[in-house]
Amino acid sequence: MKNIFLIPILLLFLTTLTAQEKSVISDLDELKLDIGQVYKPVTYSVDNQGKKYDCERVIYYYKKGAFSMTGKVMEFNRAKGTIKAVEPGYHEVVAICYGNGKSIRRTFNVTINYPKVKSIEILSDDQTIYTDTYIPISYKITDEMDVVRDIDYWKSDNAERYFSNLEFSISSSNDKLEIDESNNVLAVKSGSATINVVFDGVKSSKTINIKKNNIDNIDLRFIQKPEKVRTGDVINLKADAYDKRGNIINDVMIEYSFTGKSFDKSNTASGLILQDGRFVGDVPGKYILTASFGNASKSKVINVFQRKVQREVKKIGAGSVNDKHTSDFWVFEGIDKRDYAVTGTWGADGTAYFWDVTDPSDIKKIDSVQVDARTVNDVKVSPNGEIAIISREGASNRKNGIIIIDVTNPFDVKIIKEYTKNLTGGVHNLFIDEKYVYALSAGQKYYILNIEDPKNPYEVGMYEIGKEGQSIHDVWVEDGIAYSSNWRDGVYLVDVGNGIAGGTPSNPVAFGNYTYDSGANHATFPFKSKSTGKFYAVMGDEIFPNGVNPNGTNETAGFLHFVDFSDLENPIEIARYELPGHGSHNYWIDNDILYVGMYTGGVRIVDISGDLLGDLYKQGREIGYILTGTSDGYIPNDTMVWGAQLYKGHVFYSDFNTGIGVAKVSDLKPNNSMTNQYVD
Amino acid sequence: MIKNLIVLLIPLFALGQNYYAYVASESEDTVSLIKFDGNEAVEQERIDVGFMFAEIEGPHGITVDPSGDFWYISLAHGNPFGSLVKYSTKTNQAVARTTLGLFPASMEISTITGFLYCVNFNLHGSMKPSNVSVVDPETMTEITKITTGSMPHGSRLSPDGLYQYSVAMMSGELFEIDALDLKVNRVLDLENKMMSPKKMDGKIMNKNMQDNMVNNEKEETMMSSMPNMKHSMVKPTWVIPHPNQNIAYVAGNGSDEVIEVNLDKWEVSSRFKTGKGPYNLEITPNGKLLVGTIKSEGKTAIWNLENKEELAIIKNTTSVSHGIAISSDSKYAFISVEGIGGEPGIVDIIDLESFKLVSSVEVGKQAGGIAFWKKES
Repeated sequence: MKNIFLIPILLLFLTTLTAQEKSVISDLDELKLDIGQVYKPVTYSVDNQGKKYDCERVIYYYKKGAFSMTGKVMEFNRAKGTIKAVEPGYHEVVAICYGNGKSIRRTFNVTINYPKVKSIEILSDDQTIYTDTYIPISYKITDEMDVVRDIDYWKSDNAERYFSNLEFSISSSNDKLEIDESNNVLAVKSGSATINVVFDGVKSSKTINIKKNNIDNIDLRFIQKPEKVRTGDVINLKADAYDKRGNIINDVMIEYSFTGKSFDKSNTASGLILQDGRFVGDVPGKYILTASFGNASKSKVINVFQRKVQREVKKIGAGSVNDKHTSDFWVFEGIDKRDYAVTGTWGADGTAYFWDVTDPSDIKKIDSVQVDARTVNDVKVSPNGEIAIISREGASNRKNGIIIIDVTNPFDVKIIKEYTKNLTGGVHNLFIDEKYVYALSAGQKYYILNIEDPKNPYEVGMYEIGKEGQSIHDVWVEDGIAYSSNWRDGVYLVDVGNGIAGGTPSNPVAFGNYTYDSGANHATFPFKSKSTGKFYAVMGDEIFPNGVNPNGTNETAGFLHFVDFSDLENPIEIARYELPGHGSHNYWIDNDILYVGMYTGGVRIVDISGDLLGDLYKQGREIGYILTGTSDGYIPNDTMVWGAQLYKGHVFYSDFNTGIGVAKVSDLKPNNSMTNQYVD
Repeated sequence: MIKNLIVLLIPLFALGQNYYAYVASESEDTVSLIKFDGNEAVEQERIDVGFMFAEIEGPHGITVDPSGDFWYISLAHGNPFGSLVKYSTKTNQAVARTTLGLFPASMEISTITGFLYCVNFNLHGSMKPSNVSVVDPETMTEITKITTGSMPHGSRLSPDGLYQYSVAMMSGELFEIDALDLKVNRVLDLENKMMSPKKMDGKIMNKNMQDNMVNNEKEETMMSSMPNMKHSMVKPTWVIPHPNQNIAYVAGNGSDEVIEVNLDKWEVSSRFKTGKGPYNLEITPNGKLLVGTIKSEGKTAIWNLENKEELAIIKNTTSVSHGIAISSDSKYAFISVEGIGGEPGIVDIIDLESFKLVSSVEVGKQAGGIAFWKKES
């Protein structure tokens, strides 16, 4: 009788065991398909005895998923059980075999063949080729599906991404060219030579005319150099090449390089030299700057001294918020000519605080508003000091939007209007410019509202970049140009009244864009250098490499990218401010000085005067800094600076854990009397 | 003698039982593990979820896999797409993550396919068809997105795991997806024809729908059977299939009713009125009771499914009643209640025999998605 009960249990055990030991077999394994080919795989399972089992059902899918950044690689018709090849390459397909109420899965490698190469064209610059110089070459490949790809280097990741079975050879028709193991081509003798390449059985060639290198002498001089060169100062070099007769030769590409030695034997020289002759030294030391062409070269030696811009930065006052996290802030002059500030709160109860900061050493909390929200991430005040607008996220009715507040009497602020149309997805950041407010919507776009009558705001325009998966984090408006920061899509410069592209608030027109590889563009501040007249978009990252912990110390990363936008068509990323071990957040620039909240790195004040090139932190451009964590902070002793604003000579900041604070940069050099560097 | 012993032991077993549920707090980026011992509920652990520091990522939907080994949370906000994160129930640590669509919300795992079906609510987007993401939880791969209606919400599987049901809040439709073929099987217009839904521009919406579908996998679609998009009067927010009958119940959040759908005939078989704003619905595993949150009133209603009689309407501890999880023994309903502003979220536990609120516990702000994990002695 007992056995009657045992048998089903045993059977269940055996079934489970059997199911666990089965493996999926499929002719998908190492399958090769041509583009457009539809294939119905044969898939079944076997146990460890080799016994074959049919799958009651099989489902196939592409392992990188439906949202793969590589685009659609295959199409699956699951009713018919077929796969259609779309994108060439080496792919993984998962097959799930269902049977007896269980499923087992296995991944198979499937190759979708690249189309055959139809033609190959060797590309090189139009410049004259001289002996003893390398020839820059790239290749234009057209395949049988008329897809054209430009490849800079063979056997690089880039090439392998597009082509499999890379059968490539490159040779010279004679000994006038030398080709090394990395396929670089060096002109060694004058005359004519033909470069021959074979790719996937398709041949191509290009004849090169090589001139004898008659450069006998190079003249190297400084175009612009301060009398005393400091770290971070950009030196401009100019070199000209001459033949034996003293004739200048113009069609040569002179190469610039440098070596150096630090004054401090514990340090190493470093800097950057560009091929247009600009040089910057990061570390005090002796640098040898060289211009060369072929075997001719000329050098200049310069000493680079410490920049010596450090100043004493002192904390002046603070307004404590230590029962919740603080977000953004804004300092403004009230209509009574006194000075005030507003701060938001994060992940809390929807409160925004108002402060009297007229005496920065005695900051007083004077009023607050509480709205239906969990986070008031951004706060801004109109230039006339009459209207504050705060953003809402996490409203209980999920309508979020913005709240318009009358701050004519900051001691008794009054909510004028809740505005939610098209902003229900949450407003993370906003900006007020004249009679318009620019409010982000659901992190995807921004709406432009007319708030001339703050009781009756109305929408006049909207801007979105119009890409699948578009994402925006911030918008800042200056001189009729809106600078939106769009994570991986970088900064977009949009004419909202400047006139440069015929845009208006009701008809915003984009006219500039710059992206960078990290895809972490979180904020942008326009910066016209007072000392050079150059125009930069300073683009900031926000990166948490190990995720976030709102209840403890965080690791932060990312930096500020200085992008020279002097030529709107060709923005160039030219410098960066990166604080080792700490990441960037919000910042302010005034009079060629950067005030930046570096999260865990505190408030940093950086000299960005003069031409900018390379690593600004390494160049000793930092004027000073403060750390803002306090023992009574929401998270004690945890510096987490949100942002900074220079206002009437004081550096205001907000800290995630402590509230609002003020610092002052003095004219004095840092006081090192407490530094224990000489302690034995 | 033995009879008497059994009678004596039964209450002891009952007393020794603990119930566990996970609840997501959308405005705090936390998930709480709730333990209820039959008398008192406590927050056993609060787990931080989310990956972006200064952003509220909005954990919305939550489910526990049939084995009880993992729980899954949908994070509504991303850049801009939300994500699905897999956690171990042993450690409550994240083990894998994948990106889904716009505002991923409610979800459930099929016992037959093993796939997780998560609606992409797209709460704040344009009124155009969104989709259901299908994820293989083993590899955490989003296999495909299946286009359904505007603002899809509620994701529940048929008892056999072969069909997934969701409703489209703005277009007022019930969608049935074939869980194996991964395509829309049937669409039902939930509007009460006695009401007059606002028609949208059908041409435009259908063009959007076409574009959206073309952008997804080129499988056989239900294009021809999808009606023109409209602004639904019903605003359905939830659907729950009956555990042992071919019937599903839909919450008509806009029309203040529960809609009974005969799944064999694929037609509305009955409607009955509720309080203002019914939001989520669940059925006890024994199939006897229907439990619904009445969101706008901050209440929970219980109906007898045999005769649709409202057995009780219970005031929740705070306002904005949201989700429901029912214990596997059909004895208790765990109700998440959002609260407003800085108020904490609450989980109310309702005894489904006495219809009394027996315990409450505070969790993070805006408690929403809730899932029953296990009952153990």
